[in-house]
Amino acid sequence: MVGRAAWPLLTAVLLVVGVLLSLGTGRVWLDPAVLAGSLFEPKPNLPWLILSELRMPRTVLAVLAGATLGLAGAALQGLLRNPLAEPGLLGVSPGAALGAVIAIYFGLSGSFALATPMLGIAGALAAASLTLMAGRGGTLTMILAGVAVSGLMAAGLSLALNFAPNPYAAYEMTIWLLGSLADRDWSQVLLAAPFILAGWVCLALTARDLDALTLGEAQAQSLGIDLSRTRFLALAGTALSVGAATAVTGTIGFIGLLAPHLVRPFVGHQPSRVLLPSALFGAILLLFADVATRIIPTAQEVKLGVLTSLVGTPFFFWLVARLRRMSP
Amino acid sequence: MCWGRLWFGAVAACLTVLACMTAAASSRTDGRLPDGKPQRIMSTNMCSDILLLMLVPKDRIASITYLAHDQVEVLMPGADAGVAINHGSAEEVVAQHPDLILASPWSASAMRRLAGKVRAPLIEIEAANSFDDIRRITRQVGRAVGEPGRAEVLIAEMDAKLALLDRDRPTRPIEVAAWSSGDTVPGAGTLTDEIIRRAGAVNLARRMPDASYSTFGVEELLAARPDAIMRGEDRYDGPALRDAVSEHPAIRKAYAGRRISYPASLYACGLPQSADAALQLRAALAKVPQGGVRW
Repeated sequence: MVGRAAWPLLTAVLLVVGVLLSLGTGRVWLDPAVLAGSLFEPKPNLPWLILSELRMPRTVLAVLAGATLGLAGAALQGLLRNPLAEPGLLGVSPGAALGAVIAIYFGLSGSFALATPMLGIAGALAAASLTLMAGRGGTLTMILAGVAVSGLMAAGLSLALNFAPNPYAAYEMTIWLLGSLADRDWSQVLLAAPFILAGWVCLALTARDLDALTLGEAQAQSLGIDLSRTRFLALAGTALSVGAATAVTGTIGFIGLLAPHLVRPFVGHQPSRVLLPSALFGAILLLFADVATRIIPTAQEVKLGVLTSLVGTPFFFWLVARLRRMSP
Repeated sequence: MCWGRLWFGAVAACLTVLACMTAAASSRTDGRLPDGKPQRIMSTNMCSDILLLMLVPKDRIASITYLAHDQVEVLMPGADAGVAINHGSAEEVVAQHPDLILASPWSASAMRRLAGKVRAPLIEIEAANSFDDIRRITRQVGRAVGEPGRAEVLIAEMDAKLALLDRDRPTRPIEVAAWSSGDTVPGAGTLTDEIIRRAGAVNLARRMPDASYSTFGVEELLAARPDAIMRGEDRYDGPALRDAVSEHPAIRKAYAGRRISYPASLYACGLPQSADAALQLRAALAKVPQGGVRW
């Protein structure tokens, strides 16, 4: 086991290794020396095209989306004081997915490449406002409102698939929903990045309140914490960051659930101290998962969201077993 | 093409469900055709819709599929005005009293039971994967609808165009990829492959290890360095993400002036007009800059 003092070093090493692997691997094998050398060759050349236009945006997106999921997961687990909370719980990810699917449904994505992420962000914000409006008042009402909004968004997704203009569009939507970072470009990264960063700021602002919340809602309020402000910040932060990330990548499950649990043994259970490590580990997990999708030799690239779910489910079982051991 | 198949698949799935409802029907129709020309022909296959519209006057068509309209707009605008449509459902077959049903192999077994109910002969039309297939299918439908002469005219027109293409075939063929999103890239044994070959180019997907339809992403496409990239442009196959993906900046940069758009409808359905597709492609290929990509 790594000691508490060593985790920043371990995280940094893993993050750098993940980034380098993500830049160095692909469905096409290119010698790392050639890739690095392409920077100084006359442009455009093939390795440089692949590195700058395909692998770099993909890597940046993996870091942004992974960190977003880890951070939002940690903040929501702190806010709701529930180990099973994850970014999808409040209806934000299904909202983003619905927005994006609507863009595909009406063919907007065909005429305008950024229509899918833009409508995805709009969908996430709409879903979050609905959750916030319906779930004012308490933590439990917020979870229930989130479940209701998720259900509504899922129904909308099914409706869009039901009325898909042709089977090819339905196929397109289904594939998009599986989640992937393949063949994304800089314009999509640049579109999502401001929303993601704004979301991070909102989530980071909740850190102190989350610590107080560990004592219970009444105690936190007596300490002078404005709980409705905390809830608003957490939800707005999740909507902005997770919504923007989901709008570009499609739904990617389990990272937001997994990352906080992974880091707690190293950094302790104080919510504010979990936030940053959880974000970093989310980024690391997503980077390695995305590298794995490219290395696993299948005819069709295995989709990132499918892989994270496959790998994440055993973790869920482990979590259940651990809870059972710990409960009297 | 894949989406063409998917369409047929959807019609077939629809029919299978409905056929289960009418499973009581056990009578079989034989392949015998009625004497004289059928007067109420029903087509339940998008590709035979087009053939039917070319072969017989509109007043002898009971209905064509709802999928045909967009493709008709591309191939022969206005030709389907006033023609009824069907969704391949059991009710429609019964209600429209066809005296001939054209079906795809995907829907044939389900449709056969229905055809027995309304006592209409059923013709199974396979998908065409080559110009030989197109000749065979055009003749088959021509015979079935009682217009074999008209079918021969269409085939002769097609063969004349193909002969023209073979006469002045370029000496040094360039390599192209029919890459629309990477989901499916038609390879050997597909109509797209044959059209590319007749137009005087080489299909990149033939180099790929996979069989008829392979998949590859932008990275693999760039690394394979085709001379040009073909892209299906029709709106008839509906909105889909692949247009956005095929606009990937890496491809825009690397293949400026080397992207060919093609009418996907002519590649999805094997029709006499597929020869026109090969002619158009030949013309487009001639405009691709000589020599491989610079990078």
